Amino acid sequence: MADLALDGLRILDLTQVAVGPYTTFMLGYMGAEIIKVESCSRMDISRGQARPTPGAGRVYPGGEPGERPWNRAGHHVHRNVNKLSLTLDLATPKGKELFLSLAGICDVLAENYRASVMDRLGLGYEAVSRVNPQIIYLKISSQGATGPERDYGSLGSTLEQTAGLAAVTGYIDGAPLMTNETFPDPVVGILGVGALMAALRRRRRTGKGGLVDLAQREVTVGMQGEAFLDLQVNNRVAGLTGNRHKSRNPQGVYQCLGDDNWLAVSVGSDEEWMGLCRAMNSPELAQDHRLLIAEGRGHHHDELDRLLTEWTRERDHYQAMHILQAHGVPAGAVLKGGEVISDPHLEARGFWDWVEHPEAGGYKQVTIPWKLSRNPRKETTPAPGLGEHNGWVLGELLGLPQVDIDELMEQGIIGVRPVGAD
Amino acid sequence: MTEEAVLGDIRVLDLSEDIAGPFCTKLLAGLGAEVVKVERPGTGDVARIAPPFLGDPSSLEASGLFLYLNTGKKSITLDIANAEGASVLRRLAEGCDILVESHPPGRMESLGLGFDALSGENPGLIYTSITPFGQTGPYRDYKGSDIVAQAIGALMCVIGLPDREPLKVGGNPLLCTTGMAAFSATMLALYVRDIEGHGQRVDVSEMETTAVAQIHTSIHHQFGRNPERRPSNLTRARDGWVSPGLETGVQEETWPRVCELLGVPELADDPRFNTGPARRENSQELLAVVGQWAADRPKEEIYHTLQGLRSIAGYVATVEDLLASRQLADREFFQPVVHPATGELMYPGPAFRIEGETWKHERAPQLGEHNADIYGGALGYTATQLEQLQKNGVV
Repeated sequence: MADLALDGLRILDLTQVAVGPYTTFMLGYMGAEIIKVESCSRMDISRGQARPTPGAGRVYPGGEPGERPWNRAGHHVHRNVNKLSLTLDLATPKGKELFLSLAGICDVLAENYRASVMDRLGLGYEAVSRVNPQIIYLKISSQGATGPERDYGSLGSTLEQTAGLAAVTGYIDGAPLMTNETFPDPVVGILGVGALMAALRRRRRTGKGGLVDLAQREVTVGMQGEAFLDLQVNNRVAGLTGNRHKSRNPQGVYQCLGDDNWLAVSVGSDEEWMGLCRAMNSPELAQDHRLLIAEGRGHHHDELDRLLTEWTRERDHYQAMHILQAHGVPAGAVLKGGEVISDPHLEARGFWDWVEHPEAGGYKQVTIPWKLSRNPRKETTPAPGLGEHNGWVLGELLGLPQVDIDELMEQGIIGVRPVGAD
Repeated sequence: MTEEAVLGDIRVLDLSEDIAGPFCTKLLAGLGAEVVKVERPGTGDVARIAPPFLGDPSSLEASGLFLYLNTGKKSITLDIANAEGASVLRRLAEGCDILVESHPPGRMESLGLGFDALSGENPGLIYTSITPFGQTGPYRDYKGSDIVAQAIGALMCVIGLPDREPLKVGGNPLLCTTGMAAFSATMLALYVRDIEGHGQRVDVSEMETTAVAQIHTSIHHQFGRNPERRPSNLTRARDGWVSPGLETGVQEETWPRVCELLGVPELADDPRFNTGPARRENSQELLAVVGQWAADRPKEEIYHTLQGLRSIAGYVATVEDLLASRQLADREFFQPVVHPATGELMYPGPAFRIEGETWKHERAPQLGEHNADIYGGALGYTATQLEQLQKNGVV
């Protein structure tokens, strides 16, 4: 049995969509037991619709929703690995009662609803900490647990706007753009793990549980700190810079052989510039006095872009990366979805896990961005079917007799098929 | 900050520089750890000469990037490439809990400062290495930067417009995210150490962090939708850009109110727009309608008005807008920090808040500011010995 870092840590997981589920799947990889709570009337949005309408934005293996689309939707399959699934209708008194019983035997409750949702259900931090004063309540929200915008809705794509990323993302001659990757979601998902560990450490030292207030907007703003200082001192408002960089010249992406293949190059020092000249086999460029320092290369950036493109255009993007890196030049092929899952470096490091999902088939799963020498990652458990672990959680953990579980099923408080499926 | 802070009993030796490593240790400092930056004599952390400059660019104390990323830390200078310097570092490592470094793989080992060497004397040591590609694998010696991470981690391929080149997210967001990953990993290792007593090696890379931060590309590819660059759904407001977000949030019964607000009551029953899925299907047409209404209104007003109708609206905020944001002000997110080179400035504050804890938020150190304090205090060097080290170029 592997030595799992979070063995014995139990997490009641109400998170949905992306940011929260990212945090909890990573905690699952470190060995925590994650009980994902949904209901048959309100599934995690990542599961899509019970009967998908065209254009609803979910992806299914082979484009086929299948008989149980909610268990096959790509976003769910990908974000909810390493979790147990419990359905519980939290709008009913019985559902609330069972939920609070579970909170009593968990170390952590994680949720990322709009800020007031849990309070309105009567299941907010106060209610939960009354039944379990030691619990850590990890509240992930877009704007934070307080403030005039606390109940505003957001998606990763709107957070990119309201947290200042879109204002600096775009072609120099263009308009602001979003990442198409809801980037603040995984970022805050990653940070959520450390925030929780901090609260658990405090609990260990003081016996105190507590509320952790993690605001996606604030974390994202925190990635741009120097721009706020620049504004206050130099009155400069950060704007669109395309792929360029204030002090790394040249920097950009350059077209390579093939369809939509590109290479990113980023020269950070005079030494790296010399390496680039050698890699391109261009002694005359190396001797060009205008280009010896970064400032000069910045002035002639357009010209350098043309020269670099002439060189990259005849090469495969991977091959070009290897050549430049062999000369000490920071460069990376712009990998696409199919390339990143078969990249030899990630393969060698064991980054992807091959998962056989019982309803969605085999695929390569994103894992975690760290390696701990003594605490390996747990092998991936496929994302659970809706309500798959109702019996285990209610029967084994809460000790409910089977007749009670059957009755909950009849009353629709638990279930394995979403409303609208039949 | 007192012993009682979450990391009030933790000492961090920070040999990292530039962005990712310092972001990690900034977070550790925020929780109350004592973070001692070990910098090269004379020049220090490379971020000290990185723009934007808040004063004389030729000084080492005026980089906005450095001042932001190194809040709450101490600075000593030490040449670890020198044998005497390396032995000083070994002594420092004996008394610390966490070491964070960002040297190319193998370099610390070659100086006798690798994990095995240091943990022999200090079995509780957590040793966190942050590099572009990690400690193992075929690219381990490759160099990186923010755009390289965004490229090789498959984030960039979907950013930008369909007929243009792939585009990076502005700023240094992947390096900052790597710092967050290193923070989370280090905190996991500390969780284990608190229970079991032993330290360990932590290996964090920019490439893998980005491969986690691409949230759709790898799964879309495998589940049959080709992930690609696509047009934006922003529309112009009087003073910038907004996304109305009427596709996802607005309830059926609210739609007529939205139509009235937009001055197009006739669209309340229009089958192109009167349900969420229909609005998603016809989003470009809808954007044209909303665009007319939005064009002469201020972006923040549009954001608040549409959010009031439960849409998922956004507005493109600049740093100026954010510094003036009511929401962030109400939460006292920006906090004053006084630095001799700049006077008082407002800095983005806590990354997260634990009820009852205060985020430690003090200015960044000047190069070598704590030499006397650390060498004289913790290591017990006399003034003469310290002078000798300085004369030899070690400090």
